Amino acid sequence: MLAVHHVIRADFERYLGGNALSARRAWSAALRYPGLQALLVYRFGRVCLAALWRPWWWPVLPLAALIYLLAVASIRTCYGIRLLQSAQIGAGCSILHFGGIEIANCRVGRNCSIAQGTRIGSRTDPCGPTIGDGVWIGAHTKILGPVSIGDGATIGPGSRVIRAVPQRALVLGNPARIVFPAFDNSGIQPRG
Amino acid sequence: MLLAAHRLSHYYYALLPPKRRAPGTIVLRLLIFVGRTLAVILAKSDIYHATMIDEGVHLSNDGRLTIGARRIGRGTIIHDRVTIGFKAGAGIDPPMPTVGENVWIGSDCVIYGDIEIGDGATILPETVLSMNVPARAVVGGNPARIIAREFDNAGLRLSLATVVAETEFVPSCSPSIT
Repeated sequence: MLAVHHVIRADFERYLGGNALSARRAWSAALRYPGLQALLVYRFGRVCLAALWRPWWWPVLPLAALIYLLAVASIRTCYGIRLLQSAQIGAGCSILHFGGIEIANCRVGRNCSIAQGTRIGSRTDPCGPTIGDGVWIGAHTKILGPVSIGDGATIGPGSRVIRAVPQRALVLGNPARIVFPAFDNSGIQPRG
Repeated sequence: MLLAAHRLSHYYYALLPPKRRAPGTIVLRLLIFVGRTLAVILAKSDIYHATMIDEGVHLSNDGRLTIGARRIGRGTIIHDRVTIGFKAGAGIDPPMPTVGENVWIGSDCVIYGDIEIGDGATILPETVLSMNVPARAVVGGNPARIIAREFDNAGLRLSLATVVAETEFVPSCSPSIT
């Protein structure tokens, strides 16, 4: 389990396209990418939740919770990105576009890319999908139900995943079928 | 509203000199950013400022459009939650789709790759399209396939069209009055 500043650093590095992290680049990336703003608000909410078990943080916790709720509401109304705290999103996540993203009740591994219109897990169903590391998820994908997706898998655009996806597979279609059993998605992942 | 925001960013993009990052262009690039931010606020949409959108195009005000196309022809109707863009991993300056005239694009479509959509084509809702579409064809499904050819979508576009179709629309089910 990484400390939260390492997680946020990995998120920033994902958006910088291979450039070294500096304060100026971090500011411009945070202003430019709505997905990065949503991720930062999500990480702030994780910090607030962790502070529940540390009584010396309780005096500032109501203010922090208020800031978090306002930020979440503005991200949801402006961009349509909902990253709920019931989801566990690993370090180095990359959300490049915005609109209709909802991630709830699931586990997402490290260095995943999530495109617009993606729904992972359901807000009402507590058993959601488990997604491995380095998975590339295309636009308008729906991943619902207790499915597991292996490391390095590639989910094509518009696919509906209803059963497990093995490691490094490329799936496409509705319902999702395996098109290539061994597909290297390092070429389509954003650099960083 | 959404189209007006795009017109703003595209107008200032057209004023940019060929060397985009020249130091004097900071005001122009800021105005492009303002236009794109307006599209975000008004309709949760992201429209690439270099996209050429002709007159008479109807973009759904419901929004959530993510559009990066080379050109969108006149009389085209695009419904909400549509993604048009380049293929992932296509490199720097990737080829984008070209949408012809009088095309009807249903909601929830994903259109990507170096493709051309012919004039008068109909793309059904929830299509994932990555191949060329001939003129006046109907495509649908995921993955997409051609369902019908020589289909006249004037009736579909009638309620939203701002450009009058070349041929007058005659519903096929109407009784002929002679």
